Parts: sequence; structure tokens; C-alpha cells
Amino acid sequence: MKNHKVIVVGGGAAGLQAAATLKELGVEPLIIEREMQTGGKVRRWHRLFPDFTSASEVLATLEKNAEGIETLCGVMVDSIDATGVTLAGGRHIKADAMVVATGFDLFRAELKEEYGYGIYDNVYTSADIEDMLNGDGVRLKDGSAPGRVAFLHCVGSRDEKVGQPHCSRLCCITAVKQAMELRESFPDAEIYNYYMDIRMFGAGYEEMYRSAQEDGEVRFVRGRISEASPTIDGRVQIKAEDTLLGRPVKMTVDMLVLAVGMTAAESNGRLGVGLQSGGFIAPRDLFTGAVYSPDAENIFYAGCATAPKNIGETLNEATAAAVKAAEFLLEK
Amino acid sequence: MDGFLRYYDHFVLPFTVGMLVLFTVIIYKYVRWFVRMPKEDRRLVARGIFTKKTAQATGEVACEALGHRKIWRVNPTLGYMHMSLALGWFLLIVVGWIEATVHFSGELTAPHTHVFFKFFGPTSHPTMTGKFINFMMDFLLLFVLSGVALAWFKRLRSKALGMRRTTRHTLWDRVAMTALWMIFPVRLVAESAASGIDGSQSFLTGAIGRWMVDEFGIAQVFNISAVAWWVYSLVLGAFFLAMPFSRYMHIFTEIPLIFMRRYGVRSGERASSFDHFQIEACSQCGVCIDPCQLQADAGINHVQSAYYLRDRRYNRLRREVAENCLMCGRCEAKCPVGIESNTLRLNSRSRLNDQPAEGRYEYLRGVDGSCGEGRTGYFAGCMTMLTPATLSAMEKVFAAAGEDVWWADRNGGACCGRPLRLLGEIAAAQRMTDHNVELILRQGVTILVVSCPICLRAFRGEPRLADIEILHHSQYILRLVEQGRILMSSDTMSYVYHDPCELGRGCGIYDEPREVLRRLGTLAEVSQNREHAFCCGGSLANAEIDSTQQDAIARTLMAQFAATDARVIVTACPLCKKMLARHSSRARVADISEVAAARAVAAATP
Amino acid sequence: MSVNFGYTISLPRAVDLDRNDFSVALRVLRRLPELESCIGCGGCTATCTAGAFTEFNFRRVQTLVRRGEYGGAYREMNKCMLCGKCRLVCPRGINTRAVVMTIKRELGTGY
Repeated sequence: MKNHKVIVVGGGAAGLQAAATLKELGVEPLIIEREMQTGGKVRRWHRLFPDFTSASEVLATLEKNAEGIETLCGVMVDSIDATGVTLAGGRHIKADAMVVATGFDLFRAELKEEYGYGIYDNVYTSADIEDMLNGDGVRLKDGSAPGRVAFLHCVGSRDEKVGQPHCSRLCCITAVKQAMELRESFPDAEIYNYYMDIRMFGAGYEEMYRSAQEDGEVRFVRGRISEASPTIDGRVQIKAEDTLLGRPVKMTVDMLVLAVGMTAAESNGRLGVGLQSGGFIAPRDLFTGAVYSPDAENIFYAGCATAPKNIGETLNEATAAAVKAAEFLLEK
Repeated sequence: MDGFLRYYDHFVLPFTVGMLVLFTVIIYKYVRWFVRMPKEDRRLVARGIFTKKTAQATGEVACEALGHRKIWRVNPTLGYMHMSLALGWFLLIVVGWIEATVHFSGELTAPHTHVFFKFFGPTSHPTMTGKFINFMMDFLLLFVLSGVALAWFKRLRSKALGMRRTTRHTLWDRVAMTALWMIFPVRLVAESAASGIDGSQSFLTGAIGRWMVDEFGIAQVFNISAVAWWVYSLVLGAFFLAMPFSRYMHIFTEIPLIFMRRYGVRSGERASSFDHFQIEACSQCGVCIDPCQLQADAGINHVQSAYYLRDRRYNRLRREVAENCLMCGRCEAKCPVGIESNTLRLNSRSRLNDQPAEGRYEYLRGVDGSCGEGRTGYFAGCMTMLTPATLSAMEKVFAAAGEDVWWADRNGGACCGRPLRLLGEIAAAQRMTDHNVELILRQGVTILVVSCPICLRAFRGEPRLADIEILHHSQYILRLVEQGRILMSSDTMSYVYHDPCELGRGCGIYDEPREVLRRLGTLAEVSQNREHAFCCGGSLANAEIDSTQQDAIARTLMAQFAATDARVIVTACPLCKKMLARHSSRARVADISEVAAARAVAAATP
Repeated sequence: MSVNFGYTISLPRAVDLDRNDFSVALRVLRRLPELESCIGCGGCTATCTAGAFTEFNFRRVQTLVRRGEYGGAYREMNKCMLCGKCRLVCPRGINTRAVVMTIKRELGTGY
């Protein structure tokens, strides 16, 4: 195999964008993707907040720009150093520079056993909802339409008890987006959001939240669900405190949706680069050095490998990382 | 001078004074502690004294107080060190007494005559018996000296004796210890000088004595002898004086403790005078320090049982020392004296936190969250509500077995009371227990299956439930399999089992969960298992440590399991499961009920 | 003559942070600094074993104590069964049982 100029580790949104930018700048990159297909988490998503843009449209654009770029799919990168990357199995591929775009893992909702994910029927994660939206639409286990749905925010975010102290930033808006999508599908359904804080930081997010409240008739209860239990008829009973009232609430719903957080990719630990305490990769600094690695001058970072980010931020960062990688090759 | 004080020299005074103080104080303490013991406890002693228990206790005293058998098991070198000091010294006294008695032909003499026999009696014996006794005395002295040398070495290099930490001591302890360390080397010098003067042929003191005479001349040896006997008496006196106020009080106190324990006397959740016997039987040997995970993982090194007992003994127990303990029982399992440190800690806590509970928990009146009908009851417990996989697994198991079940706390119930009890709120805990006992008795179940080991322990300790068989779900599942009521299929899945403290050390349930797992697949073991199993850090007995410290404890535990390559880490306690699950990356963490239920099917009806 | 519309407030309702005595609150927080990290999610109160039967609200009581409002806090905390579920669900990792014990110890007499 020839000596590649730049290896892009990860073929999700960040990886595709970085590779496309490199190609534009005249550098021939190699993408290494562990899944059998590029596209990362975006491929699983149906529509994107805050304006319901189709995820597949965004992905199509990213893939078109990255057309013709050499890509290894189904290949796991084991570690990275200044000389190149080592694949699982030990093969080493040399490169002059690397862009690390390894993304994030979705929080394993099974760890919050008290919510019954994987134990009860009709407890889903936000990713499961996207799968259903991409398929035949949202349905209960028995195929019927939900009449009452509760979303729970911060599952695997801001939670010391599962080792995820950070805020994943996007689950709030995702839950609101999905609540509105459910409203679209089920005009008569009762839809509740249980939250501890609502964090709407992006352009158009707060507006979407307000629209969900006003137009979508989505109810927001300020309280974290502490546990869920099954009822005899296959529904889910949840317990929370309505903290605005200071009283416990009990509610039986047809469907409980867990807005799962973004956790550091488990593979980060093997890469051999410096990590932050939560397991995300540590960039040189959070301001002018966000795309640089403190470990080697030819390693660059893009996207959710370093922290939870939305797609816009991810793509911008990928562009920046690609430009800096190309500059590095030029200066060499 | 005649008779009792026929053999006398001024140097015996420090020894005599020390000895008198020692025995006066000890007798005063023991009598005082004993008469203040609860009447029932004293009755137990009276009833047991003329039974075979006394003989058994005597044997145990020989094994433990002299032989230090349990320390041998922890570490042979450490065992030898303690045995050489205790048994060696004891035999020196016995053989010395025989030697003196033979020499003085049974004449009644003051105790110092035996102790300083080499000064008062002739050191060389022409007879065979005399030669043998002489040899024995030298041999025993050497035996003790080897122990003293090890003790010195231990202070310098404790790791070599298998202890990473040794105990930090009080002033009394230091005085007594210094004196103790000097006693035998000084005795060697004094007896050697006496032997030199007398021309004894014995192999140790005789040889050194001859060498002294050759080296310094007989006149110098007389001077050495005079000084050495004085110093010998002084260090003996100092040791005896300090002993009842120091950790060396354990030398005698272990003896009444062993006897009373055989008679059935125990410490309880409220402090009693018997506790003194346990507290002062602690030798501060420090065997309890290394097993303590607070020390090893959380860097807390002032709360371990040795320190707790010491602080309580000297009336300077701080709340935090009593309360900062996982009560996991790892140290208790290793204590060579068998001190019930958890029970003692509990009664310290009740002294701090117990308060009348009248009017508390009135809201529980009439609360009944149970449902279903059946002779078999199931009590999930508060914590199990947060591990619903266990609940659905048990539902499946009951269904497969065709068991009609009364669900005691299906729609919410009161806590079992043990969490309150563990923090010393005994009266409040009793109200919880009463509530649950009434609920259970009202139902008339014959078997109560409990999923939470904390609740299990609470109910097992309740006399009113004595007629109900109280089983942990792991025991119940094994029974169903053994009775052929459910069938379990096995495959090649690999498991490793974590012993929850309250289930293992607390209730002695080690084998049933393992037997269930062996029937499911292969079972790996870690080195720290069964009665030495690590605590997960989540113990409800500790309300002091923060979550960072809990996590540090859990990580050590998980590292052990990760090294086994088992695919599933199985436990049998909702708290343990919660602690383990958040620290596991590769292996799945599951409750025993889940893995069993996944493979359980109803036995085909004939 | 002044017109009274019936809106007289007989008791001061405001939490008076100018006047409240924070000594107990500070002692509690010095012992358990993480308590200040409470984000009031209500998980503790939702899961509370005692809260299923009585109006005991751990989140509210400990918040009041932190604001220097101690009235009734001891009595309320005495409703707790110390079962420890709240500690397991608290996303901030607060040692809730120690909070109960500490507040009771601080306010054991006089409140």
C-alpha cells in the first residue's frame, strides 16, 4: 500500500467532511471506517433539528463531496501515532498526517436499569425512535399507536451515577424534535417531556422548544423520572417529582422514550492519544487549539471525538482540521 | 531472713511493685466489667461453667492465646513471632517455676525468687534433671529472643511479614513495647553474667557467661551482673505497670473472652459491659488494616478496627471513626482474636444516633402494598425497585415453577429497617421491622423469598419470623432446580461471581449462587472471594464516604473480575449490581436471578 | 380610610436571605460540599420509599436548610427510612443519607 498523505479515522459526518475538504485542497486522503458503510450516526437519523431537514439529504451532500475518495470500511483502527495508524490485527499504515474523527457512542440505556430499557416492552431510546421513523413509523411493541408518550431527558448525561458528568447538549433538542414528530404522527396523543434543565443553546432551538409547547401541545414537567415499572397491560408506569409543585407524580404511559446522551467513544481509550477525564479526546486547548493534538503535530481532531457537538459545529470543525492538516503538509 | 523473703535483694522491688499493680488493676477491671454485665449474660456464664464448654475454652486458650493459630493462618512468620513471644514466655515461666520449686524443694518463696532464679539459686546443676532444665531455659530464652528479633524487624520492614501497614500506637503502648523489647535481651545479659560467675555449662547463657569472664574479668562481670539484674527488674516492672493501660492488656483479656464466648455471651446492638472484654482483647496486631478497602482504595487510615477499638477503649472515640466503616466484615473474618468489631461499631453508633422513635413513622399505619395469594412470599426490597431486571426474572422463575406468590411489596412497602439499624437508629429501625413482621405474619406464608441481602439479614435476625423459612432468591432458585420444578439448560458461557457482603459474610450464603452458576456454564473464581470477598463500596453501613471514594473501591473490585475474562459478572444484591454495572466496560453485569431465569423453563408436567 | 382588599399577609412568606441564620447550613455544607451541587431534579423525592406514604420531600427540606430555613426540618427528616434509594438515583452523586443524618444532628434540639 502506498504512503498516504492523510488518513481520516472515521467516516461519519466529520470524517466525510474532512476528507472532502482535503480532496478539494488537493490532498488525497484515505478514510478508515469501522462500520461497513460511511455516514456514522447521521445515517441512523431521520430528520434533523431544528428545522426537520432530512438527514439523508445532508448525508447525500457529504457523500457526494467525498466521492471517489479511497475508503476502507469495516476496518477498525487500533492506535494512532505520529507515523500513521495501526489497524486492529496489527497492520500499520503510514501517513504524513491524521485527522481523527472517531465520533461518539450513544449511552447504553441498559445501565439505567431503573428505566427498564431492554426489560419492559415500550421503553425506547431516542435512537430507536429514529429507527422507527426511518421505517414504518413509531409504533408500540404490539403494533398499535401510542396514546400517551413520555420523553425523559438526560439519560446518561449529567449523571455521576453512570460516570457521565457532562451535558450532551443535543438530547434536549432531540427530545423536543421527536416530540413534535410524534405530534405530527399522532395528533391526539398526550406527549410529556420530563426534564431537569432544558438546554437550548443552538440557533433556532429555543424557538423549536417554544413551538413544541405552544403549537405542539407538548407538556413539560420539571422533574427527573426516578424509575419505571411495567403495568399488567404492558404499559409503563413512571415516577417523578414535579419539582415546580414539590409533589411526586405518578403517570402511566404507553411509551417511554429515553433521550440518551453522547458518551466518549469506547475505542478512544485504545488510540494512544491523550484523553479528558470523561474519556473524550483532549485537544491542545479549547480555544485556538481545538483541532490540534497535544500529542503530535501531524494529528488533528474533528467532531464529537473531543466533545458532544451538533452537526453544524462538527462540519465546521472538520473543515478546519482538514485545512490545518493540508497546511501542515505544505509547510513540511 | 527466713521463709517467704529468705531470698531478697533490693533490685526485685521494681518487679514486685509492677506485678502487684498489674494484678490489682486486672482483677479490678475484670470484676467491675463482669458485675456490670447484663444479668442474662452473667447467667449464661454461670450455666456454662460446669459444662464441657469450659474444657473447650481451655483448649482454645492454648491454641489461640499461646499458639496464635489464627495468625499462623494469615502469615506463618507473623504467627511464629507471636507464638514465640507468648508460648515462649509462658513456658519460661512454667519451666522456671519448676526449676525453682525443685531447687528450693517446694519451700514457699516470693514470686521474684522464681523470676530471678538465676540470681538467687545456683545456675549450674550437676544432676541430669538440672542439666535438662538448664538446657530448656536457655532454649526457651532463645526461642523468645527470636520472636523479639522478628518484632524489631517487623517495625523496620513490616512488608516482609506480609503486612503492608502496622498499627500506630499510644504512649502507654510505646512504654510497654519498649520495655517488652528490652526484657529478654537484658535477661540474656543478666543470666549470662550470673552463669559466668557460677561457671554454668549451659549452651547459651553459660557460653556467653564464660566469654564475658574471659573478656572482661570476673570483677567486671560482677558489676555487669549487678546492673543487669536491676535493669531487668526495672523493665519488667515498667512493662507490668504499663501493661493494663496498654494494648498488652490483650494477653490476659483474651482468656476470659474465650471462656465467655464459649458460654454464649455476645455483644449486642446496644453497648454492654461485656464489650470491654472484646475491646481490651484487641492486641492492635493490625491484621485488620490491610483487608480494609477504605485504607487500600480510599486512603482513609484512621478508622480501621484496631484504631476504632483503641479509640473506644481510651474514651476518645470520634463519631467519624465509629461511622466511617463499610461494615463489610473483611477484617472481622481475619481477626485472630475473633472480636465482633462490626457489632461493637453498631453499638457505638446506636449510642450516637439512637433516639426514641415514638410518633415516628406513624404514616406506615395501615400501609399494605402487597398483592397476590400464596404460601410463598416474595419481598423485593427498596433497592430491587431500581434493578427491575431482578423483579421480572423472579416473576419468570415463579411462573415456571408454577408457584403462587404473595408479593409483599409489589406496590411499595416500608424499608426493612436494617439501613436505619446500620447507622445506629435502633428504635426507629425496630418500627420498620415491626411493620414488616406484622405484614408478613398476617399473610401466613411458609417461605419468604428475599431479593435484597440487606432485607434478608434483617428478617433472618427476627425471632418472630422463626417459623417462616427465609431464603435468598439464589437459594430458592437452586432448590427449585434440585426439586426438578424448573429445568435450566447450560452452555459454554463463562461467569464469575461476586459475593455481596451481607449475603456472604452476613448470612453465610456462598455456595448456592455458585451452584446455580455451575449448572449454567463455567464459573471462574477470583482470589479474594467468599469470606474474603471485596465490598463493592456501596455499603449502606457507610454514610461517610463520598461517591468518588465508593467508585475507587468498586474499581479495585472490578479490576479483579476483568482479569478473569469471564463474560458475565454475576452478583446477588441490587446495590452491588448498581455499583458493578457502572464500572464494567466489557463484561455484562447481572443478578443471579436474571442469568438463571433466562435459561429456566418449567419442568414438563408428567 | 384605606381600603383593604383582603390581601394582607399574616406571615412573612419570603425567604429572607438578609436575615436568615446560615450557621447550620454552612456546617452542613462544610461536611457535605457536594450538597450545593443539587440541581433539584427531584429524583430523590420521586424514588423516596417514605415519600410514597407521607408528604416527606427530601429535595425541599434540604433546600430549605441550605437557605437557612430550619423550621420543621428535623421533624421532616425523621420521616426518612434511610433506605438509600435516593443516593442511588442522585445524578450529582450526593451522599443523601449523610445529609439526612447531618441535618438531624445539627437540628436535633431546638427545632
